Amino acid sequence: MIELDLALQRGEFSLELALQSPARALALFGPSGCGKTSTLLAIAGLLCPRRGRIAIDGHALFDADGNVDLPPARRNLGVVFQDARLFPHLSVRDNLRYGMPHAVVKDAFDDVVQLLELSAFLKRKPGQLSGGQIRRVAIGRALLRQPQALLLDEPLANLHREARAEVLEHLRGLKRGFALSTILVSHQADEVIALADSVALIEDGRLAALESTEAFKSSSAGAGVLVAANACATG
Amino acid sequence: MHLLTPAETVALALSFKVSLVGVACSLPVAVGCAWLLARTRFFGKPVFEGLLLLPLILPPVVTGYVLLIVFGHHGAIGRLLDEAGLSIAFRWTGAALAAAVMAFPLLVVALRNAFESVDRKLENAAATLGAGAWRVFFGITLPLSARGLVAGLALAFARAFGEFGATITFVSSIPGQTRTLPIALYELISTPGGESGALRLTLVAVVIAVIASLIAALMLLRGGTREAEA
Amino acid sequence: MRRIQRLVACVMVVATGALAAAMAAAAPPTIFAAASLEPALDQLAHDGALGSPAPRLVFAASSALARQIENGAPADVFISADERWMDDVARHGAIVSSTRTDLLGNVLVLIASADAHATVGLAHGPAPLLAALGKDGRLAIALPDSVPAGIYAKQALTELGMWQRLEPRMAMTRDVRAALNLVVLGQCPLGIVYRSDALSEPRVKVLATLPPASHKPIAYPVAIVTGHDDAAMRTLLAALESRQAHEVFRRWGFDAPPRRQH
Repeated sequence: MIELDLALQRGEFSLELALQSPARALALFGPSGCGKTSTLLAIAGLLCPRRGRIAIDGHALFDADGNVDLPPARRNLGVVFQDARLFPHLSVRDNLRYGMPHAVVKDAFDDVVQLLELSAFLKRKPGQLSGGQIRRVAIGRALLRQPQALLLDEPLANLHREARAEVLEHLRGLKRGFALSTILVSHQADEVIALADSVALIEDGRLAALESTEAFKSSSAGAGVLVAANACATG
Repeated sequence: MHLLTPAETVALALSFKVSLVGVACSLPVAVGCAWLLARTRFFGKPVFEGLLLLPLILPPVVTGYVLLIVFGHHGAIGRLLDEAGLSIAFRWTGAALAAAVMAFPLLVVALRNAFESVDRKLENAAATLGAGAWRVFFGITLPLSARGLVAGLALAFARAFGEFGATITFVSSIPGQTRTLPIALYELISTPGGESGALRLTLVAVVIAVIASLIAALMLLRGGTREAEA
Repeated sequence: MRRIQRLVACVMVVATGALAAAMAAAAPPTIFAAASLEPALDQLAHDGALGSPAPRLVFAASSALARQIENGAPADVFISADERWMDDVARHGAIVSSTRTDLLGNVLVLIASADAHATVGLAHGPAPLLAALGKDGRLAIALPDSVPAGIYAKQALTELGMWQRLEPRMAMTRDVRAALNLVVLGQCPLGIVYRSDALSEPRVKVLATLPPASHKPIAYPVAIVTGHDDAAMRTLLAALESRQAHEVFRRWGFDAPPRRQH
């Protein structure tokens, strides 16, 4: 259960969102600049909303009225940033293990490495990896945190076709293998359709619609936004 | 083969001891202050910054005088140190304090720049992975600012090594205790017939300064730009 | 527009030149003097006894001043606290030897803080002084190899057989007034300074006088710096040597210059 009720101000831009979704995997979909990444950062605790409440499976991460504002480190979320943000001075292995709780069994590490096919370059440094490999390590690192929910910010952005297909496959595999609440931010409809159960359409900092992926796929709004998203997608 | 006279050797060794200890003691304070300047916002921050830079701006003799008043016998802090048997007046530890104070601003500025050059987004990522502030600092910020840190230390050491005005005003010249290389150099310059000794010590001082500059330049050149934040 | 800019530039150059010339013409004479002369010379200048405009006074250890003058510092007159430094400057050809003369004398004294309890003398060797210094205390003295006050003090203490045992307990300062200050501030229990210094400072008291015979006679030679010899400087020199000036010096604790041995 994902509860979002927040109002954010970033310079000139303002965002107001209120939704509740029982979906395991929720996508925030909309063109660039509509506020999706800001929403994700607010959920992660890196941006502070002016008011509202953010809760996952009943655990409040932020609640203005109840005076709750957990620091990012205590929100127990696995965040995969759009720019991956792997630590350049650590090996892939050390990057993966950075957020691992102490009590984790070795098997969990091996499982993730196998699933994301990372064993070949555990000893390398991020500077020696390709775009797709970096993205996979970032996903693995977030997973190994054993979080209560996974946040993915444009996981397939800026990848060339092969890498995109590769990462998408792994993400599908994850969806099958892990029962983890996931919030996915994207402006690409195919990504959303492949990975999400429910889609929240965001336009100009407001929630335009909240529907199932099926509905999104076949709705004219979905198709329309698809076109618009591809047209307006700027840096 | 003796390159330096025994007295000059004593002064040189003392300068190394005083500078190393001074910079080592200055470092933790400088790291804390640099982190505050680089990563936090608080009321009165410009004033705080200005105060930290004071030893760089004040005439060294003034700084030495302030140290004398505060840490000398009968000083506000000196009195307590005397009672505890930890007096630093007229001791090499006093010279080390003078060196530490004079090198401190250089260290803070260099460290602050080094911390600021670390991508904050990486620190944020570490936070989302469960790292508390200390772990982020020691695991991410510090290792990624290592080059700037070394450069700052090199410059601070050179400054501490060459410290004269504050030292001689605070702890005077006491052979073996506070007569550091710059003070010995000053005495040799002031003594008829001391020219050859002065030249020797000058060469030593120049060599040390050049080495420090080279280290700093090397670190800062290759350290280069981390990916600038858009 | 360019023409106006050029005109403004010309005017500024001319104005600056005129200003500089005017300032040079009215520049007061500069006296480089040993640190111990500070209170006395300040008073003389302030009272107008040294002519008008009052001379600029620069005080430091004679050693430092001599080195600066030898390297071209813009002094008109030099007053040293010992012969040796004036000799050194003369060797470099930096003074007009014919104008050199001994201005003053002085005496070395052992001082302590005015409210100190101990009274020690120099008649019983180093032991009483060491006792007065206690475990941590130091004897404040000017640098004994370069500053005249320190040189005289070292000569005296050596002559008295006390140098070896006292030297490890000394705090050596840049000039004699810094040594005085350490005693005034209570940082050092004892100090050796000129009597003139001690008399100028009510917060210290004289414990004993170092026997004048134990060191070279303290003389303050004065001379005009090479290239600055003119009527105005001769007048200034005469003012320094005048009876009136000597009265002031005497009140500040200086003596008449010692009779030259050779």
